Amino acid sequence: MNSIYKKCMLTFLGILALTGCQDDFLDRPSKSEINTENFYQNRKELRLATAALYGGKVWAQWNNSAYLPLGDILSGNFVLQYQGSDLVQLNTFTLSGSNARLTTGWGALYIIVAHCNTTIKAITEKTPASVAVKDKNAAIAEARFIRAMAYYHLAMLWGEVPIIEDNSKLIQSPLINKNKTADVYRFISEDLIFAAENLPSTDEKGRVTTWSAKGMLSKVYLTMSGLGQSGGSRNQEYLDKAKMYAKDVIEKSGLTLLPNYANLFRTQFNDNPESLFALQWSATTGWMEGNHLLTYSPSVDINPQKGGAWGSPGTSYDLYLAYTEQDSIRRKATFMLTGDHYPELNAAGGGYTATSPGLKKHIIGNEADNNSPAMSYIGSIEHNALLRLADVYLVYAEAILGNNTSTSDPSALLYFNKVRERAGVNTVTSINADDILKERRVEFGAEGQYWFDLVRLSYYNPQKAVDLLSSQRRVLFDYDATSKQATPKDPIAPISPATFATFTLQLPDSEVVANPKLNEPAVPYY
Amino acid sequence: MNEKKMRCIKKRSCSLFNAGIIIAMLLYAELMSAQKFDQKKIKGTVTSETDGQPLFGVNVELKGTNQKTATDADGGFAITARIGETVVFSYLGFVKEEVKITDVELTIKLKEDLKALNEVVVIGYGKSKRKDLTGAISSVSGEELMRTRPTTIDQALQGKVAGVVVQQTSGQPGGGANIQIRGLSSFGSSSPLYVIDGVIIGQSYDSGNGTNPLATINPSDIQSIDVLKDASATAIYGSQATNGVIVITTKRGREGAPKITYEFTTGFQEIIKQYPTMDLREYAKFINDRATVWGFDERPEFANPQYLGEGTNWQNELFRSAPVKSHSLSLSGGNDKTQYLLSGSYFNQEGIALGSEFTRMSVRLNLDNKTTDWLKIGTSLQLTHIDENVNSTGSSVIYEALSQTPDIPVRNPDGSFAGEQSSEGWIAKRVNPFALALINKNNPKRNQLFANFYADIAFTKNLSFRNELSGNFSFRTEDRFNPTYKFGLAEKVDNDAFYSYSQDYFTTFRSFFTYAKNFNSKYDINVLAGHESQVSQFENVSAGRKNFISDNVTNIGSGDIQTATNGGTKGENAQESYFGRLNFIYNDKYLFTANVRADGSSKFAPGNRWVTTYSGALAWKLNNEKFLKGSKIVNELKLRTGYGLTNNQNVRDNAYLTTLGSVSTGLSGASQITLNLGNPNVEWEKTAYGNVGLDGALFGWKLNFSVDIYNRLTDGLLLQIPLPAYAGISPEYSPGVINSPYVNIGSVRNRGIDLHINSRNMTGDFTWSTDFTLSHNKNKVLKLNTDGASLPGRYNNEIISQTVVGGSIGDFYGYKVDGIFATASDFQNHALPTNSDGTVLPITPNSGGVWYGDLKFKDLNGDGVITEKDRTYLGSPIPDFQFGLGNTFTYKGFDLNIFFSANLGNEVVNAMRINGENPLTNSGYLKSLKDHAELALIDPNVSASDVNNVYVTNPETNIVGFKNNDSNRNNRFSDKYVENGSFLRCKNMTLGYTFPSELIQKAYINSLRIYFNVSNPFLITNYKGMDPEVGSWNPLQAGIDSGFYPQPRTFTLGINVGLTK
Repeated sequence: MNSIYKKCMLTFLGILALTGCQDDFLDRPSKSEINTENFYQNRKELRLATAALYGGKVWAQWNNSAYLPLGDILSGNFVLQYQGSDLVQLNTFTLSGSNARLTTGWGALYIIVAHCNTTIKAITEKTPASVAVKDKNAAIAEARFIRAMAYYHLAMLWGEVPIIEDNSKLIQSPLINKNKTADVYRFISEDLIFAAENLPSTDEKGRVTTWSAKGMLSKVYLTMSGLGQSGGSRNQEYLDKAKMYAKDVIEKSGLTLLPNYANLFRTQFNDNPESLFALQWSATTGWMEGNHLLTYSPSVDINPQKGGAWGSPGTSYDLYLAYTEQDSIRRKATFMLTGDHYPELNAAGGGYTATSPGLKKHIIGNEADNNSPAMSYIGSIEHNALLRLADVYLVYAEAILGNNTSTSDPSALLYFNKVRERAGVNTVTSINADDILKERRVEFGAEGQYWFDLVRLSYYNPQKAVDLLSSQRRVLFDYDATSKQATPKDPIAPISPATFATFTLQLPDSEVVANPKLNEPAVPYY
Repeated sequence: MNEKKMRCIKKRSCSLFNAGIIIAMLLYAELMSAQKFDQKKIKGTVTSETDGQPLFGVNVELKGTNQKTATDADGGFAITARIGETVVFSYLGFVKEEVKITDVELTIKLKEDLKALNEVVVIGYGKSKRKDLTGAISSVSGEELMRTRPTTIDQALQGKVAGVVVQQTSGQPGGGANIQIRGLSSFGSSSPLYVIDGVIIGQSYDSGNGTNPLATINPSDIQSIDVLKDASATAIYGSQATNGVIVITTKRGREGAPKITYEFTTGFQEIIKQYPTMDLREYAKFINDRATVWGFDERPEFANPQYLGEGTNWQNELFRSAPVKSHSLSLSGGNDKTQYLLSGSYFNQEGIALGSEFTRMSVRLNLDNKTTDWLKIGTSLQLTHIDENVNSTGSSVIYEALSQTPDIPVRNPDGSFAGEQSSEGWIAKRVNPFALALINKNNPKRNQLFANFYADIAFTKNLSFRNELSGNFSFRTEDRFNPTYKFGLAEKVDNDAFYSYSQDYFTTFRSFFTYAKNFNSKYDINVLAGHESQVSQFENVSAGRKNFISDNVTNIGSGDIQTATNGGTKGENAQESYFGRLNFIYNDKYLFTANVRADGSSKFAPGNRWVTTYSGALAWKLNNEKFLKGSKIVNELKLRTGYGLTNNQNVRDNAYLTTLGSVSTGLSGASQITLNLGNPNVEWEKTAYGNVGLDGALFGWKLNFSVDIYNRLTDGLLLQIPLPAYAGISPEYSPGVINSPYVNIGSVRNRGIDLHINSRNMTGDFTWSTDFTLSHNKNKVLKLNTDGASLPGRYNNEIISQTVVGGSIGDFYGYKVDGIFATASDFQNHALPTNSDGTVLPITPNSGGVWYGDLKFKDLNGDGVITEKDRTYLGSPIPDFQFGLGNTFTYKGFDLNIFFSANLGNEVVNAMRINGENPLTNSGYLKSLKDHAELALIDPNVSASDVNNVYVTNPETNIVGFKNNDSNRNNRFSDKYVENGSFLRCKNMTLGYTFPSELIQKAYINSLRIYFNVSNPFLITNYKGMDPEVGSWNPLQAGIDSGFYPQPRTFTLGINVGLTK
């Protein structure tokens, strides 16, 4: 080869090598994750995005760390002594700002908010015009319904909380003020009204419908009717709205109560027609990715993998007294008494006989009992309902009762008695506020509701709410199966007296440290 | 000795015994040879050929023996030898000379050696003579490295290079070390870029336990390690090099006869220190005392603690003396056309913790071929297989050992594993860790291929063009199986298995022109221009199943298909770069370097992808100026100064996009959940870097030093932003939380001094040389664009560090302890803690109150109560100073090397004491807990909850008393757990003996060395835990000893044999 020619060739090759790569060399889209730039393109993708908001990691922290502790232990229905002092503090009203249940509960609800906000924003911004407006709005409505559920819990527990609609704004300015409680409720009601208007009347099993939104609206308006009315009477305008929405659901949805109360809590009846909003758990072994309620089981013998019975809430003597002897269907489905036999728990092993009074609801047995080999004790497949039709029935009755001392209104009685009939207890001919509160407590025992019922009462009659707490027997008890005698035990620690302030939880310490502005007075949102 | 006995010994004799006999015979032979009587005293003088000056300290060695001496100040020497023998004269900077003795008087003139003064240093895409460097580059030779017998390379760098901080993240076999060069300049990883024979180790490998990328390299293959520190040295590597570059060059074949080297080492390791835990008697007494105060039933078996035994010491059970051995064989040689090096090695180390083991096998082939007069091609290939058992090290083994109680035996009388028998329902059943270490399987395996191919084309004498294609390919599997068991009451009913496969490809193609020319023998010019493209790809798949029919069949396919789970991810990123460098030297006095590099990264949004890195440096060789020329004292003196701007891309792939991932729900199948929030504006971290250095050699190159002062200012610091919980967004994992976006958030400054001194204190028969390094770095946060301007670091959900403007990254933050509440007046005079709503805790032993034996915290803001405002800074995990001190002594064939390293001025959180000194917990009791506050009544007939009726019998303690609640939050993070982490560690001692070549040549052996090595022989520290050297991958959570796997003490015996054809 001619050496000059050779050198020219080589130089040419060299220059070629230096000219660089193709323009798209640096475009390396993710291969395992979808990004918001190329998603939310059709109805199917919108449905995939909203499906994630119904359970899994989005709800796991709330469900597993705070749902029953704040709903049923704080309210005196159950007592859990052995999982650290955090749960003891809930029983004794000695909650500190570093209480893990409080801190986790707060963060958990805001995790739900963050996911709803991100989804709403992405759908609003990214969904092309080719997707029907109806479908786009329906997807946003699902997210807004679930966001309203989270804010409803936040408002009931803490009152004044920051309202966040766009989480990406927090990156620039993370330190924000609390908003006024009334504004939080207004925000919730606006979300629910949008949901009621844009959700379909029927959908795939487990998805929320317009009836879910209207049912929740009735409950939210009932709550709002008492807000700021410490004189004992409630705002009639809101009571009427509560009544209107409840009536709508009851009369037009076509939904009915499930005939057998105990079946409500069996996985074979997940998402039954009574369920208006239930968390959509799947079998999993991922830590905090599923439903951990089986870790409240009284025995590893009836749990999946024979494990995870980390501490079973004991029934309080107070809750025991709330059930009449006749009310045994609901009682046995809610908590166990010593000697109770449950053939469906570890059925292959001959069932389970309770050894002390403790939680039954959510304890669903092992893999075989539920025909779910992949189920684990940290991945229960129970779709626990946060709103069911019976709730709307009782809201309806309470809205009709309104500011009256008692009522014999036929509609109120009809639906109040439907709940009682199903439970196998006598119907009544007149109802007052105490009847409804008691009925709610036994109907929704261990469903995370009673604390919220007490907070709702505290809004317009704080003294009565304090008295109720003060008179509680917030203690464990022994039960003798033969003599059917219950003997209350000593408190697990001295119980501090309840005050008006008891009904508003303190903000988590860590949060106040992170954002001192939370200590400033709440500001209006609107 | 009768015949029978002899036969018996022969049968039993092992290779070691034989080796001993051979050594003894050789020693005897040497002794005999020294007694030859025709020896004479030979005298002489050595001068420099250039100027005729006598040379001081020239090594004079009788060839083939261990006889050595050195010249005195007048260049004179004397040696005993026979006429006809050869004397070898060697002196740094001069050509080695061999002189045959013909007379008893010798006059030697040594020629100056330009080659030796021209020590070559790797500078990135090229080489340079050390004397022509303008940047801060430190080098460690392979020979020096091997003196410490390291398992992996990073372990050997500690203390050897000034400015390089090496902290072990685990002492487990093959465990990682966190290396920082000149401080923390990032909230993410601050680890340097590694380049091994041109193969870039991608930063994706930068992870913790057992996956140390440098663990794949056989340390004896290494020729040199060059550490590029300042911007003028690193800028040529661009954006990947902002934290410095460690360039590793492996040995290559040389022209000449084949050289065969074999090395064998064997040894064992042991744990240096244990935590003092309670024995069974102390434990029983403690449990009894506590039960009395708490009103619990006493355990009947503890009725008489004095009759109990010691119980189980779990640390004794879980730690062992563990063997370590290695073999390595290398062949090298070549002719004028082709040179080769082929090496193979086997290394096996059992961990000191039961159930840990590390095995490495590697093969290397380095080839160079001069194909034509204009083309040279070559390759570096390394294939490594690593097989590990991380069964007990996957989780924290120390923590495991301490969370057991002495009342549980290891085995039952029938030999089966024992377990907890106590049926106290509220205590979670602890599982026998000894049994778990033996029955569980956790076996990661790796195959790693480093490959580099090059083709060098010479267009003219001055212009060359080099192409390199290099790859780093890694294939990993992880195989875990957990069988069923029943140890006492602890039971596992379902067995389960997990298997994963992952592969990573990192490929680079680079080509660059180099033009070098000397004009008028005054101007030296060297220009480099090139292009580089890199692609990094990873993919993995994993599977899990449960309910295996048998614990013996553990293949994943044998599990119940209905329990099957699987997962997998894929990803890639790319980088493209253009770079150039100009080196200019005027008259061998003034040196100038300029670098520029443009990098484009796929990690950023299209508008933010490209960034330019540049640097410039000047150096002045003072020794070549008239006023120093010919100086007897100053041999070399060079002043360097440089400045540059470097960039860093410390973010996840596609960080500018919001991404979603699949999760299953109870609705119809999969759904898409938001995983990360994107920040479209995220861009590069930028570091402005200034450096001034002075290099010198004094007194005939006897004293060499190098000192550098630097200032690094990093702006646009990348951080996954921490936000209040109401954001639902966090950089830390919490189920459901959306992963924080990366935000350019602040700026940080690192200032410091590096000093390296090498001195040859004694020469001659007995030589002594010293290496000393000192590193000082001050880290200061200058700006944080967050509201409140602080970044918290957490341990167990509690804030333990706070990074704020004006402070250093990761400063510990918490309360100060002021003793315990011991007298009634304490409750009146000392500030009491409050609830978060501001109410002061009542004084009561009941839940919700504060009582005798609770800790008093200091009221630092003086508001009369204890709130979170009373927290303060409790020290830094970053040492103020790090030292390395190595001394090498030789006498005849013996060499002794002792190396110390020390840290000064850092704090360590002894997290094992948080639990171990807490009477509320149920395990892990340290002996110090025996000194808990003891409450007594003044009048036994008056109530025990009357504040005026109680006192503490040991008011000086700061261990809290028995109380069935922790309302005072005694365990809030305080200075009680922060300890001084300063230490002086003797890192290594090696004693070796090299046999005289004359002697061993008879056995056709070229070289033979045996040595004995102890690493970590002793450690001097006030730290109460096992080992104060605690590395961390997360600078916000650095310096926390939460049951850290300590560095073992290792004893090694080794033999190195060199053969020539």
